[in-house]
Amino acid sequence: MPEPPREPPRAEGAGRRQRLARRDGATAAAVEHTPPPPGARLAPGMDFAAPVRRPGFTYLDDERIAELRRRAVTLLERHGVAVNHPAAVAKLRAASCPVDADGRRVRIPGAVTEEAVRAAPRAVTLCGKDERHDVRLPRADGTFWMRTGTGAHGYIEPDTGKYRKLVLEDVRTIAALAGALPEVGFIAHPFVNDVPEATADVHGLGTLLAHSMKHNWIQPYGTENIGYLLRLAVLAAGGEAQLRARPIVSCIVCSFTPLEFKAMDVEAVIQCARYGVPIHACSLPTAGGTAPVTMPGTVLMAVAEILAMTVLAHVLGPGTPVIATPLIFCLDMRSGRSLQSSVEALAGASMAAQLMKRGFGLPTHTYGAGSDTPDTDGQSQAERALIAFLVALSGADVLGGVGQLECATVFSPVQAAIDNEIGAMARSYLRTPAIDEDSLAWDDLLALDAGGNFLATEHTLRHCRAGFAPAVFTRQARDAYEAAGKRDLLAKARDTVDAILREHPPRPVVDAEAQAEMRRVIAAADAKIAQ
Amino acid sequence: MSEDLEARLDAIYGAVLAYEAGNTAELVRRETEHGTSCQQILSDALIAAMDEVGDQFASGRLFVPEMLMAAKAMKAGLEVLRPLLSASDAKPAGTVVIGTVHKDLHDIGKNLVGMMMEGGGLKVVDLGVDVPPDRFLAAAREHHPDVIGLSALLTTTLPSMRKTVEILRGVGYNGRIMVGGAPVNQAFAQAIGADGFAADAPGAVKLARQFVGAADG
Repeated sequence: MPEPPREPPRAEGAGRRQRLARRDGATAAAVEHTPPPPGARLAPGMDFAAPVRRPGFTYLDDERIAELRRRAVTLLERHGVAVNHPAAVAKLRAASCPVDADGRRVRIPGAVTEEAVRAAPRAVTLCGKDERHDVRLPRADGTFWMRTGTGAHGYIEPDTGKYRKLVLEDVRTIAALAGALPEVGFIAHPFVNDVPEATADVHGLGTLLAHSMKHNWIQPYGTENIGYLLRLAVLAAGGEAQLRARPIVSCIVCSFTPLEFKAMDVEAVIQCARYGVPIHACSLPTAGGTAPVTMPGTVLMAVAEILAMTVLAHVLGPGTPVIATPLIFCLDMRSGRSLQSSVEALAGASMAAQLMKRGFGLPTHTYGAGSDTPDTDGQSQAERALIAFLVALSGADVLGGVGQLECATVFSPVQAAIDNEIGAMARSYLRTPAIDEDSLAWDDLLALDAGGNFLATEHTLRHCRAGFAPAVFTRQARDAYEAAGKRDLLAKARDTVDAILREHPPRPVVDAEAQAEMRRVIAAADAKIAQ
Repeated sequence: MSEDLEARLDAIYGAVLAYEAGNTAELVRRETEHGTSCQQILSDALIAAMDEVGDQFASGRLFVPEMLMAAKAMKAGLEVLRPLLSASDAKPAGTVVIGTVHKDLHDIGKNLVGMMMEGGGLKVVDLGVDVPPDRFLAAAREHHPDVIGLSALLTTTLPSMRKTVEILRGVGYNGRIMVGGAPVNQAFAQAIGADGFAADAPGAVKLARQFVGAADG
């Protein structure tokens, strides 16, 4: 989506009458909090920045990338993967992959892996309902897009801050809110509790598709459900040909770590290929549980699994766009819980993103938000700032997990508004400043008088609006902060959510006929699957 | 109890806490040769050690892999006693059927709970993963368990857990049902009609022992 235009410098009387009107009602206006504009404005403090080379952080020099790359390919060749889908195994065998006597374990020769990686598209477009909402990966300005958390079954109400189960109405709220958050490129459906459980994915996606102009992310909960989910996408797109031409959905496909694939996920690859629906080849290893406790081993295995999915996509649906999606967890050895924001998991996400991007050149998606705390507390803000910072600098094209808490099981709209701002900040600092006469203010420096300053220079005037303009972060001095009722980060994020939902209330974006047909598909899924 | 016996039981207890499976088994074997009753070895050394493990885990001093290794050592000792316990008609504290619910293939947590329950003196029938409700039902009819334990890792398989509880209750299973796993909490357990929830393996053992009336606080 286009970035909001930057306001030009303006010194004269636009808005004068509004100002006078405000002055007349000064008593009320002085204490009233004016909600910030929806979403933080990406006005990277560096309007002089050229989107040249993305600055980076790395654990992996070229030699280490080469070593890990070689081992990932070798792991697939020597150990292979178990594929619980006989038809897919037959196709892999026909594609020169030896299959063990059990009919499940498939060894993937290095040449097959390399061919699949070579054939995988280097760029992917995640289409919205119209072109204005398209998301291109990698992003043209060299930064990233964000995506909302998926799979949450809990919800923290924006107005009360209370935790409760997530219901279908919340999907409409999420669609409206995420639709207006400029950093969010595409939206996932959470787990909905007030519908038949076996078809919660079908209900969730149906509501999301009907209310979102942005691209949507499918997460199937059962093999039978996949057909219904794609049927909903066909209806929302306006037909099969339309979905094929502009896939308005992409689908997560997961390994069953370690090194195994369930029938459902293989089936998702096959069915998505029919419509050219991109897949997010997702490995979710838990270091110390389903993966080696040492993070390099976990990363290696995750990358091998993603490569295996790239091979599956190439063999079962040649040309299917693949987005490498390592979501790295580690086991909390004190409690046995999975963690997504521990320092080890963050380091793993960073390494995996670097290896997929630099070692294999695939568009890459990992967690770039989220926290292991159950609430929107200080820990949450610290953890998600750290993860966004590290993952953004590690080269990922998509930072997932907007709004998610408690290791991806809870969604908070207020947190989503904060994540949007953290993402905007991270995108700002990814822009490498140019070093030239203008950015150095060379002429001003040479002309500087003793005791002079830069406030009134033409150069400052030209750049003074370029700084990052926060929507929810507070920069008030104490007096003003207290006079305004101590509106802190959370309070301002709540106001932002409120303002967005007032301005952009949930509304259907597909026509009534398509909606009716979608309802019939959902009812059919209920009748077939949920009985 | 003689000082010698106390010292020998201490050694078994210490071997479990040192994660020494081979040593535990050997010390238990020697203890049976001393004529110490299986029940006493089990109760005063092996189960006591696992109770200590549970307490240390609860207080954050022991980590999950260490707890697992201790459970393995305890199990090695238990294997030595098992044939003797059968011969002596000694009964386990209770029987628990466990399994990961339908469509969920995750078993790390369930296996740990099973091992710890055995360490807690319970007979465990493990049905494995992806267990449909009718297999839980069949196991209930075959083994007459005091407790059925259901595990799930995925949010998306919570419906299977609910359905299993419904079916078990529907046919009149009147034993206890306990649930656990990453997406499960107390509220969910209550909502689906389970009798209890535990957040971790030692908690599951404690709960199961309470359910079978072998609670030790």
